[in-house]
Amino acid sequence: MTDILTFGEVGPQEPTPTYYERPLLKAPHWEWNVVTYLFLGGIMGGLGLLQLLADANDEDERRLRATARVTSLVLAAANPGILISHLGRPERFLNMLRIVKFKSPMSLGVWGLVFYSGAAGANVIRELAQGGTLPGWLRHLVPAFFVPLQALLGAFTASYTGVLLSATANPFWGSGKVHIPMASVCSGLSSACALSSALCVVQGNHRVVRKLERLEMVAALAELSLLLHFEKHAGHYGKPFFTGARGKRLRTYTIATGILAPMALNLVGSMVRLPKPVDAVRSTVASVLTLVGGYILRESLIEAGKDSARDPRAAFVQPR
Amino acid sequence: MTTGFFTDTTLCIGCKACEVACKQWNELPSDGFRFTGDSYDNTSELSGTSWRHVAFIEQTSVDQRGIHNRWLMSSDVCKHCTNAGCLEACPTGAIVRNEFGSVFIQPDVCNGCGYCVVSCPFGVVDLIEKFDPEGYRYNLASIVEERREDQQTALQGNGGVAGKCTLCYDRQKLGFVPACAKACPTESIQFGNVDELRERARARVESLVERGVGAELYGADDIGGGIGSLNAFFLLTERPEAYNLPAQPVLPSTRQPAGYASAALAVLGLAVAGWMIFRND
Repeated sequence: MTDILTFGEVGPQEPTPTYYERPLLKAPHWEWNVVTYLFLGGIMGGLGLLQLLADANDEDERRLRATARVTSLVLAAANPGILISHLGRPERFLNMLRIVKFKSPMSLGVWGLVFYSGAAGANVIRELAQGGTLPGWLRHLVPAFFVPLQALLGAFTASYTGVLLSATANPFWGSGKVHIPMASVCSGLSSACALSSALCVVQGNHRVVRKLERLEMVAALAELSLLLHFEKHAGHYGKPFFTGARGKRLRTYTIATGILAPMALNLVGSMVRLPKPVDAVRSTVASVLTLVGGYILRESLIEAGKDSARDPRAAFVQPR
Repeated sequence: MTTGFFTDTTLCIGCKACEVACKQWNELPSDGFRFTGDSYDNTSELSGTSWRHVAFIEQTSVDQRGIHNRWLMSSDVCKHCTNAGCLEACPTGAIVRNEFGSVFIQPDVCNGCGYCVVSCPFGVVDLIEKFDPEGYRYNLASIVEERREDQQTALQGNGGVAGKCTLCYDRQKLGFVPACAKACPTESIQFGNVDELRERARARVESLVERGVGAELYGADDIGGGIGSLNAFFLLTERPEAYNLPAQPVLPSTRQPAGYASAALAVLGLAVAGWMIFRND
């Protein structure tokens, strides 16, 4: 006797029927510019924290502070340009400044970027006035609270780059509502430490590089554990990110050479006293690898989001 | 008054008059000739330039008496959600709720960021690659057959805008019925006050069930996930997935509190670690 199937019923082994295997959702049209925007946004956020942590009474840390402030201002100036390259026309950026919408991470993020630029600019003026590059009286124009303010705005900038993704209808991004924002913060700080320590090596500011590397290790370790936990937690929603060619790319460039290798290099640096030129090379290599890993993490997040949206089944039951 | 659509799929005959009427009234460009082989459906999905989409589902059942076929047709449209993901996500305020309770995109304010596209739990909103505020409402001359392939470069070069059903805002302002509902020859698409439509829909389900037809409403009541009810809801005779509708959609912004809170936790932990490392000499 033949099996009896009624209308719409599916055989025991068959997956949920789809509409001609057509995806339910639309994939984001976001390209390298959005990846770079999120990557630099994370670094900006981390630099905000570093300029607060650096102690003004210590000459080496004062130099780090100046570097962090100037770099953060450069990035804050570059990011609107990258956003505009995504939007197509410069005046389209201004459309975002019509309103403030607390429900929209994109809206809050743009305002965060604007205010961060202001705070970073003020702190650069303060820094240069204290250092004697600019007239000394200028420093009285910038109150002391701008220093923690930049750190606070930086924390927001690094955070929202994750919430921007996790608070969408995309099944993969949505499944990481805790992991993606946290990993964005960790990756932002470890990249900021890597960039600062590379700049400090160039400036010959070696003592402070140790501290940056230690903080970078903490952030990288947190990022690693988050990614490992995310893989278990995301289940089938995480497939586009953790499996296949993209998963391999993530494991190679973000986990192996972007987190584990720099951690090993930094560990060697903190335990063994290497000759100065060798140590400079070691530190720079670790920094570059961390930065590449951070970029690949953001790129993988965006690209996996596209694949997740193209999955004809993933969005039938959306993650809570 | 909140207006909406009640799409009764049991009455749909798949004529696509709604698709054509919508394109004509809203001056939407062609999506090019494509032959999909998916039953009679060559539109495939709702997009920035297709605001009604008729789905064709062919089903077969087998029993002792032989093989039976049935054909389901359903005209899909923007749901005009009570809590709309696209509206919440829009950073420019281009997406608004108008006086008829519909979710409306103002094309001159939209900056083409694409955040609404990824924030719609139903995959309705999409980008139209070119918008020329000086000329035609949509720059028809720029639309070529390879639209899909060109989409990304065109968007980056000229900037696109998001497009979706307006519930014929302009027609409603004049007191007209939306073009699709007007053109529908079987009243499968019914337009009106949402509360009245819901009552009508419930009565229709009752009468269908009495006659032995399995039917249920999709989105007439709270659909869950924080979205609330849909101003454009459907009567389906098959599970929602068959029509490419999500069985359990979720409003994206409901994940924000968890996102911001966990990020704050990470910031706090790293700040403490940083403070200990930098203070310790």
